[in-house]
Amino acid sequence: MQSRFYALLLLLALSFTACKTQQHFIDSYQTSFTPIDSTRPHDSSMDKMLEPYRVKMHEAMDQVIGYSEVPMSKAQPECTLGNFMADAQLAIARKTDPATQVSIMNYGGIRIPYVSPGAISKGKIYEMMPFDNKLTIVEVPGKVMRQLCDLMAAWGGWPVSGITFRIKDKKAVDIMVDGKPLNDQLIYITAMSDYIANGGDNCAFLADCKKHFLNIFVRDMLIEYVTDLQARGRKLNPQLEKRISYAE
Amino acid sequence: MQNRRNFIKQGMIGGGLLAAGGFPFSAFAATGATRITILHTNDVHSRLDPFPMDGSKFQGMGGVAARAELIRQIRTEEEHVLLLDAGDIFQGTPYFNLYKGEPEIKAMSMMEYDAATMGNHDFDAGVEGFAKQLPHASFPILVANYDFRDTELADKTQPYKIFTKGGIKIGIFGLGIQLLGLVPQDAYGKTKFLDPLPIAIATSDMLKNKKKCDMVICLSHLGYEYKSDKISDCVLAANTEHIDLIIGGHTHTFLDKPTLIKNKAGKEVIINQVGWAGIRLGKLDFVFDSKKSAKLSNAQTVILRKQTIG
Repeated sequence: MQSRFYALLLLLALSFTACKTQQHFIDSYQTSFTPIDSTRPHDSSMDKMLEPYRVKMHEAMDQVIGYSEVPMSKAQPECTLGNFMADAQLAIARKTDPATQVSIMNYGGIRIPYVSPGAISKGKIYEMMPFDNKLTIVEVPGKVMRQLCDLMAAWGGWPVSGITFRIKDKKAVDIMVDGKPLNDQLIYITAMSDYIANGGDNCAFLADCKKHFLNIFVRDMLIEYVTDLQARGRKLNPQLEKRISYAE
Repeated sequence: MQNRRNFIKQGMIGGGLLAAGGFPFSAFAATGATRITILHTNDVHSRLDPFPMDGSKFQGMGGVAARAELIRQIRTEEEHVLLLDAGDIFQGTPYFNLYKGEPEIKAMSMMEYDAATMGNHDFDAGVEGFAKQLPHASFPILVANYDFRDTELADKTQPYKIFTKGGIKIGIFGLGIQLLGLVPQDAYGKTKFLDPLPIAIATSDMLKNKKKCDMVICLSHLGYEYKSDKISDCVLAANTEHIDLIIGGHTHTFLDKPTLIKNKAGKEVIINQVGWAGIRLGKLDFVFDSKKSAKLSNAQTVILRKQTIG
């Protein structure tokens, strides 16, 4: 009787320790990934949920606004997609302030890697520049411009227009504006997004510059530029021009 | 049994890796070990439809309808699945410009995501814009280092959540990136960013030692790695000791296989990230065996398999 009691106790004690948060350990693991490609079957309920959103979106976005002669892609230190965007920004800023000399965009602001040649839809521009950033004209003193160029150099090159430089040891050298060396004593009227002007992408040093915030989205500015070209029967044709390059 | 049958089938697709003895699956059924499947995405950026067929690198890739079907199928094959997203759900296609994130969150709820963290672009409609879409979310937003007390997101996110699957306790917490200089102040408003590292150390310690989690996962939008010593997933892994897995985002890094980094205790931390735009679905299958000793937890076998079938 007694031995049976002890056995029961022992059993109880054992079951208690077993219940006491028995830690589980990772024994092994296996990893994989599945590319989601066009051959994969669809969940029809998902397509059904999306359909009303999709129809309305296509109505708003499929309109062709212009054409590109060349494929445009995103790359550093310079790229065709960036040159198009920076040129467009310079042209549109000049409509407001013809004295605008320089145009700068943050590389991270280009949101698609590639645009094929041919028709450009409004939606494509939305994908390229989805943010509600607004065009801003900033009075940048030469010294601050040098700082901005150094930052662009450290980032590996951003889209620019009206300014060129080379990257050496992550710094900007041979900075030229309109074909003339950067002058620390001058103020350069520069087009950029309010995101950068307000200190985005570590551009806090632009805080003290005089700014003129325009009420136009950078995205709508790109649409306006392409539409303007189209109205004149012209197509986009951005080329690589060594606006920013690595020093030998 | 469904589990195991499928597992063998996949193994065969995998092409003899199992036959090489890499995976102790004979022990799997016998010891009552538990298999936990982690599925993950990051930086989907409103890519609800696949990339258009325009000759670009990612043409035809991505899209929630195909992802949902794949996830549905995996759920029929695996018993214990957790589906996670590491942030930047929003921004990148006109869907977001027109609908401010509503179809993105609805789609994630339909796919039965278990948790997501917030990326910098999830602030693009403002804190209030993100809060406005949360009624459509059937999953929690986990972020431990944003203080939303004085914002519209107050009490609408949580630092961590503990999931129990097949008797395994999995603690998941989220980390967000520094907002200053990255996100316009207008967008994040009165959100306070807190240093991720001390929060990660405290939270993972609490989950592992106080809450007795068997596994601790960090859903991170810090970014994979930087040239500077800025906090990243790699820095995080090396400077903590209770995180087992980091599901990362922000840098749009396509890791074909996870990165392993030794933590402060000398244990390997797994870091994984699957690029962006929903181009890939990541899958990590963990086998837990309560009968094995703690020492064996380091003896991990990695089998890489580009799963194109099934």
